[in-house]
Amino acid sequence: MELYHIQNVDHYYGTKQVLSIDDVSIPEAAIIGLIGPNGSGKSTLLKLMGFLEEPTYGSIFFKGRKTGPFSSDTRFKVTLLPQEPYLMQRTVFENVAYGLKIRSDLKRLKSRVEDAMLQVGLAPESFARRRWSALSGGEAQRVALAARLLLKPEVLLLDEPTANVDTDSARLIRKASLKARDEWGTTLVVATHDWQWLFETCDSVLHLLHGRLFKGGLGCAVYGPWKFGWEGFLQKELEDGQVLVAPSPEEGKQVAILDPSRLKIVLLSKSPLLKWKIGSLNGFVTRLFLESNGQTVQTAIKIAELVVTIRIQREQVELLKLYPGKEVGIQYEPKEIEWL
Amino acid sequence: MDFIQEGFAQAYALLVRLDPATYSAIGTTLRASSLAMAASLLLGIPLGYVLGYFDFLLKKQVRIIVDTLLSLPTVFIGLVIYALLTRHGPLGEAGLLFTIPGIAIGQAILSLPIVIALTATAVEASDRNLHITLMSLGANRKQIAVSTLWEVRLGILAAAVTATGRVLTEVGISLMVGGNIKWHTRTITTAIALETSKGEFGMGIALGLVLLLIALTVNISLAGLRRRI
Repeated sequence: MELYHIQNVDHYYGTKQVLSIDDVSIPEAAIIGLIGPNGSGKSTLLKLMGFLEEPTYGSIFFKGRKTGPFSSDTRFKVTLLPQEPYLMQRTVFENVAYGLKIRSDLKRLKSRVEDAMLQVGLAPESFARRRWSALSGGEAQRVALAARLLLKPEVLLLDEPTANVDTDSARLIRKASLKARDEWGTTLVVATHDWQWLFETCDSVLHLLHGRLFKGGLGCAVYGPWKFGWEGFLQKELEDGQVLVAPSPEEGKQVAILDPSRLKIVLLSKSPLLKWKIGSLNGFVTRLFLESNGQTVQTAIKIAELVVTIRIQREQVELLKLYPGKEVGIQYEPKEIEWL
Repeated sequence: MDFIQEGFAQAYALLVRLDPATYSAIGTTLRASSLAMAASLLLGIPLGYVLGYFDFLLKKQVRIIVDTLLSLPTVFIGLVIYALLTRHGPLGEAGLLFTIPGIAIGQAILSLPIVIALTATAVEASDRNLHITLMSLGANRKQIAVSTLWEVRLGILAAAVTATGRVLTEVGISLMVGGNIKWHTRTITTAIALETSKGEFGMGIALGLVLLLIALTVNISLAGLRRRI
């Protein structure tokens, strides 16, 4: 069943447009990854989905009903864990219990708070009476997550939940969030750069670039300056002197997108003339990640200042003998480059 | 310099011997300032929250006016309140002129901008993630206001301390609205003014020290409160 339907949303801070989404739906009990560079609008989208802000234009439907901040349809159902969670100036117990207290839901409060703390790996006997100021970054993040898990939300929005925490905290946060989905059918929307979240856990990934959703997967954004090249095409000189060629954009569009589904990895040894050829770029493999289906591998290739992430079949990795550090070529069709 | 030593000795004597006139002035001072502080905190904290939390049309202009009112001269407030409360004034029928509530009204007007401005500053300076956290945990508007004010409680306490200091030590309002009537509306500050005009410097210093002692007691109590919250 469709849980969210975001329709024709344009959001502005002052006169600056930060988000423009035509149409996107999110099903119930899904785990959705949200990826994009800093300033691409991930946090803003999460705030809109958390009904903390009203979109400047457009509508967000929750279970088919148009909803906004403080609505009774969503107030107790959707919760957001911000990237830098705020802990109130009280004890850990009081921080975790806050949500239930404002709901006047005090039944078995102590044991429920302790259960939520255990869920995120915080021993109540050592942490419950500790003050907010006596916690590490990872512990604070887990307290904030416990405060939300205690509410058994229908939707849990996580903004970079593991960005600033140690490995152990990251593992506990991930485990606790997944348990919420498995036990209560909580829908998770996670803004993250963590490949483990994105390619092992998420059912699908939304890629935000410049406040717009890129539907072709993990597109690679290429920013200007651009020069005029041959036959009306534009050229972007990369830091290492290689040249990327793209068609002229429509008016108002400034960012070129390399769609990874249209890129092809080739071995350099088989294409000695590949370098400097139009429609080809050289780079090297930086990362290989086997996706949860066990069949496809996300392959990150660094080309000068750009990083493209291409999904390939597992057999292809073996065939091309790919490994981190290996030099490879990328082939693209200049006409197929899109603009945002 | 002898009168300073004399002042200390007299202050001690006035307090230890339970001098009725001194204790009457202390009582009047405390009654008027308590009433004034209660009124200014009750009004000022919510208004400060509104000013610090919300964005609205002419907010900057309102802020400038509030900040300007921080410099209100006490004699001017005294004059305005006198004009309002005098028998022929618009509020003359209330019979508040030369009464402790009359003084308290003037002192509340004096302390209100302090409470509003400092509360607004404390709310403005609060972490931007506080609002997101409270909302995302399901708080409604009223719960957000209460929780935000509780989070900035030290700032509000500072506002209360500053305003109390101003109210306790003002003389213009007490003199003009209270009339400095012995046993009725004579406060410590008006008594000091009177004693000094009579050339009784020692007595003036003694009363000043008493006032300082009261301020010290109030601040020690608030410091204790700050540690506990």
